[in-house]
Amino acid sequence: MKHTTRSASFAVLATVTAVALAACGAPGTANPGAGGASNQSLTAPAEKSGTITMVTKFADPKYAPYFESVTKAYEQANPKVTIKLEQVGDQPYKDKIRVLSASKQLPDIYFSWAGDFANKFVRAGLAADLTSVIGPDTEWGKTFSPAALKAFETKGKNFGVPIDLDAKYLAYNKAAFTKAGISGAPASLEELIGDCDKLRTAGYTPIAFGNQYGWPAIHYITQLNAYNVAPDTLAKDYDPATGAFTDPGYAKAVDQFKDIVTHCSSKDANGVSHEAGQANFLNGKAAMHYLESVEFQALTAKGGAPKELADNWDFMRLPAPQGAAGDAGALTGAPDGFMVNAQSKNAALAVDVLKFMTTQQNAAKLTADIGWLSPVQGSATSANSFPQLQSALADISKANQFAIWLDTVTNAEVANAYLSGIEGVISGSKSSKDVMTGVQEAAAKAKKQAG
Amino acid sequence: MSTTLMRWRSLAWVLPALVLLLVFVYYPIVDNLRLSLFSWNAFSVAPTFVGLDNYRTAFHDPIFWTALRNNTVFAIVSLVFQVGFSLVLAALLEEFVHERLRGILRTIYFIPAVISITVAGILFSFLYNPEIGLVNRLLGAVGLESWQHSWLGEPSTAMGSIIAMSQWQSIGYTAILFVVGIQRIPKEFHEAAKVDGAGPIRRFFSVTVPMVREMTTLIIILTVSGAFLVFNEVMVMTAGGPSNSSQVLGTWLYRNAFLNDDMGYASAIATVIFVITLAIGAVQIVVSRRRRIQW
Repeated sequence: MKHTTRSASFAVLATVTAVALAACGAPGTANPGAGGASNQSLTAPAEKSGTITMVTKFADPKYAPYFESVTKAYEQANPKVTIKLEQVGDQPYKDKIRVLSASKQLPDIYFSWAGDFANKFVRAGLAADLTSVIGPDTEWGKTFSPAALKAFETKGKNFGVPIDLDAKYLAYNKAAFTKAGISGAPASLEELIGDCDKLRTAGYTPIAFGNQYGWPAIHYITQLNAYNVAPDTLAKDYDPATGAFTDPGYAKAVDQFKDIVTHCSSKDANGVSHEAGQANFLNGKAAMHYLESVEFQALTAKGGAPKELADNWDFMRLPAPQGAAGDAGALTGAPDGFMVNAQSKNAALAVDVLKFMTTQQNAAKLTADIGWLSPVQGSATSANSFPQLQSALADISKANQFAIWLDTVTNAEVANAYLSGIEGVISGSKSSKDVMTGVQEAAAKAKKQAG
Repeated sequence: MSTTLMRWRSLAWVLPALVLLLVFVYYPIVDNLRLSLFSWNAFSVAPTFVGLDNYRTAFHDPIFWTALRNNTVFAIVSLVFQVGFSLVLAALLEEFVHERLRGILRTIYFIPAVISITVAGILFSFLYNPEIGLVNRLLGAVGLESWQHSWLGEPSTAMGSIIAMSQWQSIGYTAILFVVGIQRIPKEFHEAAKVDGAGPIRRFFSVTVPMVREMTTLIIILTVSGAFLVFNEVMVMTAGGPSNSSQVLGTWLYRNAFLNDDMGYASAIATVIFVITLAIGAVQIVVSRRRRIQW
């Protein structure tokens, strides 16, 4: 009897194990039928009804209410539609969207950075081809800034709806410049380095810089790479299938960054968060701060900045080095955007939600509510924004091209090699040669993976 | 009631827990082992079987070895402070401190353990701030400017700074566990030792240490396993930087899975972590069983 009981117990165990293991399919079997929604009509249905799932990375309490209010407004205008909006933070979003992709639970609408991050979804057939509705010649497409639209273009097809415009600028305290005897914005990188020395003599930290998580330094490198490397070479190297990073301009960019750290900042920057660095600029201890235009609001009285700074700041692009071989008119930045799930049964409705989100009225509301620039043309006016934001919009429209964030435009291996290498440059443990050796090895690995 | 029926009944009671364990613990472990044999990511159209390639990659990956070394250092330091120092602290509390003050001190020591790791991490990021941080200010105040560092920003000090924060947070917790163990020792043992002329130090080594052996084993397992599973502290304070100097196996796994899109390699790292913690746990359980003391 004892034997029978044991056998039965093992049978139960074996059955449960078998059931559990049977549930296990091949890992990450994403659907090979790329562009599912491209076969569906993306024209808004006559009767709008159904449920739309949407995931954003805008959980920050400063930004989340805007997206909540716009989706609620859509629901009010279309009572038979429910939008299940989920907002997570910047870093958790990167985990969440991958888990949702692997488990085939991708929402109807999801956030994406421009560049290789978006292309991963395109390559896996998880992003709907939206060219028929948002292509540059369509009615909707014409409402956007062409550069913003192009940031989500892959092989001539449009896969994303740009939602905001973001660019990197060097904000400066005009009072500090005056005190240090600097008459205006420097015209070249060499001039900036000279100004940093003057500012240090005047008692200021020239540039407030916190690089605790690595990305702030990567933004400098993004801009310096664009200045020092010809656009065609840059495009070839940023493509995982062809990247080599052998152009001498890359090492030059790292050396220029090292000069900026030495003269304008501190080798301690790796131990300071970006926000702590920004606090030094806000309280007048630092004279400059390299930040994104979406952060401009923090420098205004409405955003909580002290009056002495709020009334006394302006901005410039990071000046280009003299005789740089790249594009001196390139500007670091990119629009963020939303993509539509290629397998969504409600793709047309999802497109309609995004159309609503990017109407002239809602784009203007984006600027008024959270101080972001919208890629919808003519949405920033003196009524809903502040002078620096309008100047930034004018400057973005003058840029030759967007130099998309290095950590999202390249393959992740290359981005990580840059990230750890540049941290070493700041702390003094690595040279530009070390950094580029690491980057070249990572590019070779990425090329092998890309096949 | 027949024996067979009773056995089936007991099996029925155990079955739900068994199923849960199988589905949520053992199945993921087995499946992770299988996944580590594939090259795949969240966007993979066709995962490819690569055999032991991911393990070979780990073997040749210098950051994997940095991470393993950091975990090992974390474990050794934790053993010294969370086991050795905590046991001394607990013994001092029980031996020399007046009962009223003892309660207050126990609470004070325990408070860090109830602070969220994220909050503690941010708090220590401020303390370690090279410009406004309390640590550098204190060193400056006592004339030790040459000791000042960008604690989380330099490869040579980042991991040590994280480990120090973790010790601060955990010592109180393990000390309270030791206090519980010490309080269970019959008073007669200490009194007999006193009669025999043993002083406090002799009593500590000859009575307290042997009598809390089981608690010590438990805490060693918790501490060492915890040191190999550490993740939050590093993510909050450095995310593995600068230059990957503070990567631990958990953060390197995370980075490969969710940022480098190399889930197969991440699964291989997870298997290594599992094997290490399982081996440590098994060895310690066997050793403690051999030396069990009963009274």
